[in-house]
Amino acid sequence: MPEAPTLVADAIRFDAVGKTFPTRPVPLRAVESVSFTVRRGEFVAILGPSGCGKSTLLMMAAGLEVPSEGRLERGGVELVGPHRQTGVMFQDATLLPWLSVLDNVLFPATIRRIPRAKVLDQAMRLIGTVGLKGFEGARPHELSGGMRQRAAICRALVLDPDLILMDEPFSALDAITRDEMGDVLLDLWQHTQKSAIFVTHSIREAVLLADRVLVMSRRPATVAEELVVPFPRPRAPALADSAEFGAVVAHLRGVIARNMA
Amino acid sequence: MKAALTSALAVLAMLLGWEALVRGKAVSPDLLAPPSAVLEALLRHPDILLDQGLSTARETALGFLLACLFGAALGAALSSAALLRRVAMPWVLALQIVPKMALAPLFVVWLGVGAPCRLAFAVFIAFFPVLIGTTAGLAGTDSGALRLCRVLGAGWWQTVLRVRLPYAVPQLLAGMKTAATMALLGVVIGEFVTAQQGLGYVVMFAASLGETALVLAAITLLCGIGVALYGGVLLLELAFARWYGAPMPAGEFG
Ligand SMILES: Nc1ncnc2c1ncn2[C@@H]1O[C@H](COP(=O)(O)OP(=O)(O)OP(=O)(O)O)[C@@H](O)[C@H]1O
Ligand SMILES: [Mg+2]
Repeated sequence: MPEAPTLVADAIRFDAVGKTFPTRPVPLRAVESVSFTVRRGEFVAILGPSGCGKSTLLMMAAGLEVPSEGRLERGGVELVGPHRQTGVMFQDATLLPWLSVLDNVLFPATIRRIPRAKVLDQAMRLIGTVGLKGFEGARPHELSGGMRQRAAICRALVLDPDLILMDEPFSALDAITRDEMGDVLLDLWQHTQKSAIFVTHSIREAVLLADRVLVMSRRPATVAEELVVPFPRPRAPALADSAEFGAVVAHLRGVIARNMA
Repeated sequence: MKAALTSALAVLAMLLGWEALVRGKAVSPDLLAPPSAVLEALLRHPDILLDQGLSTARETALGFLLACLFGAALGAALSSAALLRRVAMPWVLALQIVPKMALAPLFVVWLGVGAPCRLAFAVFIAFFPVLIGTTAGLAGTDSGALRLCRVLGAGWWQTVLRVRLPYAVPQLLAGMKTAATMALLGVVIGEFVTAQQGLGYVVMFAASLGETALVLAAITLLCGIGVALYGGVLLLELAFARWYGAPMPAGEFG
C-alpha cells in the first residue's frame, strides 16, 4: 500500500486554475490561470479588489465549485469535492438558531456521525480559547455578532482540520470587534500547525495573521503579487502597532493601488 | 391573566345584553333565540347533539389530518422537483381560484352522500395552506446553512432532517392553523350538501323548522370543535417553539 501522501505534500495546490461562469448573455470569466501553493502549516492571506473572484477561488478550494480548467490538489491528491479535513468559515456565522452554542460547534460531528463524547473535550477547549466559556448553552440570538463568529471559528476547527478556508470572516463586524477577532485567530494559530487561506479586505489582518500575502488582480483574478511577511512567530497583537508593521502595510497598500489602476 | 379576565367579562356582558334585548321584546325570539334558550336547547337534545357533534368532530379531525399529510407531502414533492412544480403548480393554483364551495355538489356525484364525500371535500378545501406553508418553509431555508451542509458532506436526508425541516416547521404550523378552520368549514359544507348527519345537517334541519335556538346550539358546538382543533395546533406550535428556543420567523398564515 502506498504511503499516504498528506505527510509530505503541500496542503493545497492551485495549478493553472481558471473559472468561467456560464452566465448570459456573455460567460463571466472570474478566475484566470491561478497557480499557488499553501504549504503545510502555512497561513496565506488573499487581498484583492471587490468582485475580482476571491470567493470563487475559495469555493473551489472548498470543493463547492468545480474549476473550469486547471487542477486543484489537496494533500497531493486531486480535489474533487468537499474534503473531510478542510474547515470552512464564511462571512456570516450561519449558526443554526435552534441549536445551543455547544451543539452548533458540534454540528460537524453530528453530520459526520462522530460520537459526541469523542469531540466534546476539543469543543469545550476551543470554546474556552475563543472566550465563549459560560455561553455553551446559549442560543445564537443571545450572542453578539462577534461572539457568533467566535462560535463559527470553533465549529470550523472542532474536527481538527489541517486546512481552514476563511472568506472575509470578520467583515460583518465593527472595527474594534474585528481587531479582537484577529487577535483570537492569531492566538489560535500560535499553537497549531494548520494551514489556512484567509480572504480579507483588511491589510492589517492580512499582515498580522499571514506568513504570505497574495494580491489578486482585478477580474478575472490572477495572482498579481506575492509578499512574504517578514515577522517571525509567535506574534503578539502589539506587533500591529510597530513601525516595521506599518511599513509593510504601507508597502502592500501601494501594491494594491498599483493593481487597481 | 388580567387581560383574560377583561375579555371574559366582556363576553358575559354581551351575552347578558343579548338576553335583555330578546326579553325586552326588542328582537323576536323566533329570529334570534336568547342565550338561555340556546342553553336549554343544548340540554333538551343532548343525545342528538352529542351524536351529531361526535360525527362532525371525527370527520373534521380526520379531514384535517389527511389535509396536513396530503398538503405536506405534495408541498415537499413540489419543492424537491422543479419539473413536477412546473407541471402541477398551474393545476393547484387553478383549483384555488375556483370557488371551492361550488364544487361541493360534484363531490356528492363522485362519492355519494356518505362520510367519504365530506372527508374528501374537507381535505380538498384544507390542504392548500399546508401545501403553501410547506413549500414556503422549505424554500426559506437559510442558504448559508445549506452551504454548510455541503461543506460538511451532509447527505440528502441529513440536510432535510437537521436543517431544512427545522427551518420549514414554523411556516408549516402557520399553514396548519389555517387548515384547522378550513377542515371544519369543509365538513360543514359537506354536511349541508349530503344532508345525512353532522351538526351542519342539524343546523339546516333546525333552521328549516324555524328552531333558531337549536341552530345556535349546534353552532355553539361547532365553535367548540373549531376551538379544540385550533388549540391543538397552537399546543403543537408551543411545543415546537419550546424546542426551538429562539425567536421564530413568523409564518405567512399566522
Ligand atoms: N455562481 C455564480 N454564477 C455567476 N457568476 C458568479 C457566481 N459566483 C460569482 N460570480 C461572479 O464572479 C465574480 C467574482 O465573484 P466573487 O464572489 O468571487 O468575488 P470576490 O472577489 O469574492 O468579491 P468580494 O470581495 O466583493 O467578496 C463576480 O463578478 C460575480 O458576479
Ligand atoms: Mg467574496
